[in-house]
Amino acid sequence: MIRYLRLYLQFLKFSFSRSLEYRMDFWFRIVMDCMFYLVQLVFFTILYQHTDLLGGWNYDQILIFVSGFLVIDAIHMTVFSNNMWWIPILVNKGDLDYYVVRPVSSLFFLSLRDFAANSFLNLLIASGILCWSILRYPEELGTSNLIWFLFLLINGAFLHYVLQMYFQIPVFWTHTNRGLITAFFSATKLMERPDKIYPIWTRRILMTVFPTLLVIALPSRILFEGPDPWLIFWVLGVTACSFLGMRAFWNLGLRHYSSASS
Amino acid sequence: MSPSLFFHLVLLETKKLMSYRVDFWITMLVALVVNLVILWALWQAIFAESGKELIGGWDLNGILAYGVMVFLTGRIVRGGDLQMTVATDIYDGSLSRYLLYPRHYPFVKYAQQVGNILPDLFQSLLMGLVAIPLLGISTTTDVSPMSLLMAIPSILVAHLLFFLMSLTPQYIAFWADNVWSLSVMLRFVTMLLGGAMLPLTLFPESIQDGLRWLPFSYLFEFPTLVALGKIGFVQWYQGICYCLLWSLLMGLLSIPVWRRGDLRYTGVGI
Repeated sequence: MIRYLRLYLQFLKFSFSRSLEYRMDFWFRIVMDCMFYLVQLVFFTILYQHTDLLGGWNYDQILIFVSGFLVIDAIHMTVFSNNMWWIPILVNKGDLDYYVVRPVSSLFFLSLRDFAANSFLNLLIASGILCWSILRYPEELGTSNLIWFLFLLINGAFLHYVLQMYFQIPVFWTHTNRGLITAFFSATKLMERPDKIYPIWTRRILMTVFPTLLVIALPSRILFEGPDPWLIFWVLGVTACSFLGMRAFWNLGLRHYSSASS
Repeated sequence: MSPSLFFHLVLLETKKLMSYRVDFWITMLVALVVNLVILWALWQAIFAESGKELIGGWDLNGILAYGVMVFLTGRIVRGGDLQMTVATDIYDGSLSRYLLYPRHYPFVKYAQQVGNILPDLFQSLLMGLVAIPLLGISTTTDVSPMSLLMAIPSILVAHLLFFLMSLTPQYIAFWADNVWSLSVMLRFVTMLLGGAMLPLTLFPESIQDGLRWLPFSYLFEFPTLVALGKIGFVQWYQGICYCLLWSLLMGLLSIPVWRRGDLRYTGVGI
């Protein structure tokens, strides 16, 4: 475990020094993400000009929900996004060889080696928006609600990564997964809306088969309605099962991997 | 550029895109299904919870038809995946090849862009024929064969405008290390202010007034309203002219950027 932590610290050092080499891109990305945050907030603000409630949530609640989603997006962009981009390229070029032979988990190495330092600043901005939306909330939010919300938010970011990996791994067989990845990003739009707007069967599918509602909608519900042990167990259980399934899928993919040079 | 060369380039690009057919259909089907689910769930909830029958001049079926139509036309207007090719040509040096061609670079790129949207056009038509009848009859739209016919040139000029708007941020690649974020930024802004996320009639009045002076509404809202029969002939004609004027302006804006960038360009291996 300590070895992996030390390795991750090296990844961080390397990523920060590299990102500062491309200063213009550094600032462009920050502005881009801020624009994304603004568009999301404006979208819901306009919707609430025409209704008081959406999926049972008022404007103050939806602001927290959207901010939570922005934090998850920022975590994804900072920690996983660049690495996800490289996986199909490494598989197709045969460069995966260099990672498979190292004495650490290839999944760990390939998922975390590139930390997007520029997006880290956006993570701070998104966290600031979340703090602001929580502080302006007119009612009392219990401490335990808040702790569970923050814990499940981090879990949501992890689940988002796990789900994306399910769409990345088929590249071992298909050689191009561009369509699948575009499909994944289209499908993740489902998590950007409150869970209660979906009909019951859609909600069941989105809590089991493709559990996008567990990423931020259910953690937000726990924040507003209090920690429900069954719901928390469900969120953590599905995340654990999804991760184990993904790891098995990754190992299967590695077994099918034939290096380009062999 | 001669029409035969233009169509030859269009055809080449279409063939290239169709070589990944599974990708092509997966992307479209998943995006359409997800959009339908979200649209239906979101607006059903808003109409139910607000208790209103009309929102921003739309009834439920009308706004669903708008959502489906803007999704289908938006795919064509944005023109698939070609947004980064100009920057890629600059970065990997393949621009050198185009500079040797006896045709102007943006025209070649535009022909490729049109080739890229042809399969989208066919797909959108097919999906529209399936999806629109499922949405039910609306009192706030009036789709007819004439409105659909009028929508085709509206979509094509909107596509030209989007292409020319994307060109200048792409040319920044002559100076910057990475312009992907600029393209994405443009996409965010045009999607919101162009009516791809919400009909612009839902925006506050003052913002709607401001947006009339900007080109964004011609990208997504205008072709969609034409297809839904909400635009009369005179308004349509005026809209096409404004869109072409904006295209001209964007094209003119890109010329000095191209000229300055071209002077800085160093081809890989040269």
